[in-house]
Amino acid sequence: MLRRINWRRYGLVIVTLPVVILVFIASAFAPVIAPYDPYALDVLVMLEGPSEKHLLGTDELGRDILSRVIQASRISIVVGLVAVGIGAFGGTLIGMLAAWFGGKIDAVLMRFMDIVFCFPAILLAVILMANLGTSVLNAMLAIGIIFIPGFARLTRAVAQTVQRQPFLEAAICLGVPGRRIVLREILPNVIGPVLVEAAVAFSYAVLLESALSFLGLGAQPPEPSWGNMINTGRGFIDQAPWISLAPGVALFLTVFSFNLLGDGLRDVLDPKLRD
Amino acid sequence: MLRLVLGRLASFVPTLFVASLVLFLAVNVVPGSAARSALGIHATPQALKRFEHQHGLDRPLAVQYVEWAGRALQGDFGTSFQNAVAVGPDVRKRIPVTLQLAGMAFLVAIAIAIPLGLLAGFRHQSGTDGVVTTLATLFGSTPNFWLATLLIYLFSLRLGWLPTGGYTPYSEDPIANLRGMLLPCIALGVVSSGLLIRIMRTAVIEVMFSNFIETARSKGVSNVRLVTAHVVRNALIPFFTVSAVEFGFLVGSVVIIEDVFRIPGIGSLVLVGIINRDYPVLLAAAMSVTVIVLIVNLLVDLAAQIIDPRQVHTGS
Repeated sequence: MLRRINWRRYGLVIVTLPVVILVFIASAFAPVIAPYDPYALDVLVMLEGPSEKHLLGTDELGRDILSRVIQASRISIVVGLVAVGIGAFGGTLIGMLAAWFGGKIDAVLMRFMDIVFCFPAILLAVILMANLGTSVLNAMLAIGIIFIPGFARLTRAVAQTVQRQPFLEAAICLGVPGRRIVLREILPNVIGPVLVEAAVAFSYAVLLESALSFLGLGAQPPEPSWGNMINTGRGFIDQAPWISLAPGVALFLTVFSFNLLGDGLRDVLDPKLRD
Repeated sequence: MLRLVLGRLASFVPTLFVASLVLFLAVNVVPGSAARSALGIHATPQALKRFEHQHGLDRPLAVQYVEWAGRALQGDFGTSFQNAVAVGPDVRKRIPVTLQLAGMAFLVAIAIAIPLGLLAGFRHQSGTDGVVTTLATLFGSTPNFWLATLLIYLFSLRLGWLPTGGYTPYSEDPIANLRGMLLPCIALGVVSSGLLIRIMRTAVIEVMFSNFIETARSKGVSNVRLVTAHVVRNALIPFFTVSAVEFGFLVGSVVIIEDVFRIPGIGSLVLVGIINRDYPVLLAAAMSVTVIVLIVNLLVDLAAQIIDPRQVHTGS
């Protein structure tokens, strides 16, 4: 008899993965997919509503909104990937160090992480951006730094549970070198939860980047980002609500599907965690 | 009890110290940029030197920090680089505005989260649970500044029911004040409710599996009484302790929402400080936001332990 696949367990991943892949494809092949040059001005079609020629309408400079939304996905994806990379790498390193050495090192590291964690993320991002200078590169850095404490806490908790397992105590007694234990035994156990956290952190990074760009602290015009497009659209909201609407929908759908993907990965990797 | 309160207060001091240090360093990562942005790009090196000397920016960072922190403890946040006006009074005037906004937004969030979380937790692992959990993710995934833009478009511009922004003090005109606060509170509250629904749901599920609920069930207590008398009461304690963290995020989001709705709170002051590179203003505003968050966390922590003494022993 065939083993029945537990669809409930994979359901969320199956539903959300196509959306996530679509966003990645859109950002990777933006110049090929976009029907127009996202920077091309056309004074003849300023502030025009959705039509056959411009599916999502045009903005105040006659630029095609669909092309700009597609182009803008690049910034979101790159910022998300790099910021989560920084956060996951830094956090995992700190968390594993804290768990492995314990004692004073653990106390100092985690106390510091707690305090950074306690800062409202947007406030910290805004301040870091203001001083590092407004650019996409700095946005990645600022958002990445904010993610470190979350990953550190998670990694430390998982690593501590693993370290208490009898097989690790046995390995330590046998004189297996510490570096080997950390890399071969603890790290593989940490990767699953870190992956789940990364999906959720990715959606949050996209959200934070767009918030920074919305405030004028992230991607600078004319470079399109969902945040600065929404902000520009605010000025024309009465005549041309589609300028804010389209990038907002793209942003919302991306964040929503990454969040769901995080939930889905949790179901797949550790069904016990569901509740 | 007194020892508990004193212990918490004692641990509050180092937290405040490190928090202020982190903020001070974050603001001063790039040396020399304050003078340049205050005087413009065409300023001569001599003028830059003079400005830095005048504001004490040429001294070591440690000295600057000690002086700033010492004065800040006395409520003196220095004077603005931009117009030489004292920063303290302006900050104090703006704090109540932000507190009202964040407080009311939090009320909106819990008004959504408690019933929905209760429903999902009570009908745990059913279709209803799935719908509510998805709804929670949906709320939490909405960018609050975008939601704010949509709300303004719909309720202010299309329907004309509410103002597009601005702020009227409550003491001047309570109705105008509340009308102005409604949209910002909904924009903040709906997004925050996403996480709060999940917290409430988890809290309810935990209570549902405890022994006293089983006892009540076997006694034949009706579902309605079970929820109102046992589940809600016991789930609310963990709900409020965990949701204090979300309140911190909410206070942070105020930076964006105050900008969108042109509300003169501390959040918009943070942005003013950033746009003008006005470090005393930025530091004072950011520090007050942080202190508000820390105090709320402290109060919730204390309240939880007073309400539920069990945590005193397990917590330490």
